[in-house]
Amino acid sequence: MSGESSPYIEFKDVQVEYPGHVTGLRDVSLQIDKGDFVFFVGKTGAGKSTLIKLITREVTHTKGIVTLAGRDLGRLRERDIPPLRREMGIVPQDFALLPRKKVWENVAYAMRAVGHSRTEVRRKVPAILDSVNIGHRADAFPHQLSGGEQQRVAIARALINNPPLLIADEPTGNLDPERSWEIMELLKSLNLNGTTVLVASHDMMVIHRMARRIVTLENGQIVHDSAHEEATPSA
Amino acid sequence: MLDRLSFVIGEAMTALRRNGFMTFAAISTVAVSLFLLGGLGYGYLRVVEYANSIPGKFDMRVYLRQGVDPNTISQTAATIRGFPGVASVAWIPKEKAWAKEKKDDPANTVGIENPYPDGFKITIKTLKDGDPVAEKIRRLAVIDPEPGVIYLKDEQHLIDEGLQVMRWLGTFIASLLFVTAGVLIFNAIKLTITYRRREIRIMQLVGASRFMVQVPFLIEGTVQGILGGIISAIMLGGAQQVFQKFLMDLDARVHLSAFPGAEALVILGGVGGIYGLFCSWLAITLPNRAQ
Repeated sequence: MSGESSPYIEFKDVQVEYPGHVTGLRDVSLQIDKGDFVFFVGKTGAGKSTLIKLITREVTHTKGIVTLAGRDLGRLRERDIPPLRREMGIVPQDFALLPRKKVWENVAYAMRAVGHSRTEVRRKVPAILDSVNIGHRADAFPHQLSGGEQQRVAIARALINNPPLLIADEPTGNLDPERSWEIMELLKSLNLNGTTVLVASHDMMVIHRMARRIVTLENGQIVHDSAHEEATPSA
Repeated sequence: MLDRLSFVIGEAMTALRRNGFMTFAAISTVAVSLFLLGGLGYGYLRVVEYANSIPGKFDMRVYLRQGVDPNTISQTAATIRGFPGVASVAWIPKEKAWAKEKKDDPANTVGIENPYPDGFKITIKTLKDGDPVAEKIRRLAVIDPEPGVIYLKDEQHLIDEGLQVMRWLGTFIASLLFVTAGVLIFNAIKLTITYRRREIRIMQLVGASRFMVQVPFLIEGTVQGILGGIISAIMLGGAQQVFQKFLMDLDARVHLSAFPGAEALVILGGVGGIYGLFCSWLAITLPNRAQ
């Protein structure tokens, strides 16, 4: 981090409280630069998903400030949320594929939903599927795919807007180690092409093997950030 | 824009197909309620039209005091003609009335001096005009206090009350059905929202605008309403044909005017569509309690 330019994503003393005084996050401060690859780790309920949902504006913080590319996400109006989401790719934990649609139709549906024309869809879908190595299964239905392949389709769908930011919630949660590593390799290649990648996961084996920044959460607080660990000796 | 429209219309049609039973229930209830509402409204107008054609038989007879001079008779006729609700006034000279009576009942009129005063035959414009016109005429000084004004007051009241009952009862039943139809459209849309939860989530995840997410539901409700309205108009046209045949079989001398098919299609389809749009808007606006 340069320290001079403003970070791509910033959390300043962020607190999230769910109804019934359930704390989601407490005093979270964090900076993420453009092009970073960050893992959020922690047990279930530690606050990983809440952190991610603050960026996608599925959750609104109670206190503090969350900014993305200089925009205060807490001040966004409802109508500004869809354009915000078009600037990011979101890969949900359960893949969220449409079971009655083929692989290419799943991606095409999402493209049509954000207003792409039929011609654009026909032109772009094969390229997007190829970019995540699932083009050869374009005519298969989700139930005919392995977990890893389904995850690739979910990632392909997240890439339809060519986003500078990719957010994945437990992308390897339902996969065996080999498939998990393939997905991580795919995310790594996207990151190498300049995409900022944020991943919530508890798959420690894969995370350590990736050797990227790790932010550990516990009870809604950041208890460890590997970026600070690296920065301390040089400071 | 055309691409967006084709997407939202396609989504709405998919939902209508997939949600078959609720769609059928909503459309049929809208159809029945609009059939009753439209049918009662149309029937009411026809009965009013028929009843208004009756006053020729509901003539009023007005009797003047004995010995009123011809000038006063002309002035009184002019005064009555000026009353609201009076269609025509015809003077019936006492000689003419007596001549008719002698012709109709010669046995009982022999040797009797003409007991009739001069009078008028008055035709009122509508059924409701009977009482006020009679009241105004009675106040005129030249009118004989007894019998004065004679008309079929009770019959007029009966028809008027019948129309009123028809109006209230019809409005009540049709309103009840109309609300039921609205609840069914509302539920059909809520069901679609539940069925399409995954699609909606995907659309939200990829940043689809509110237009792309919500408009298919509004189209679905509107289509249900329009179809219900069109079916009700067709049912009304059919009902009129059946009723006309029934009247012909009875050899009744009542002729129903031609059914305004195009107007009924436009009005009932339009009302159904607006109602469907409103109910589906409510369905997507009001949050589920369980959510």
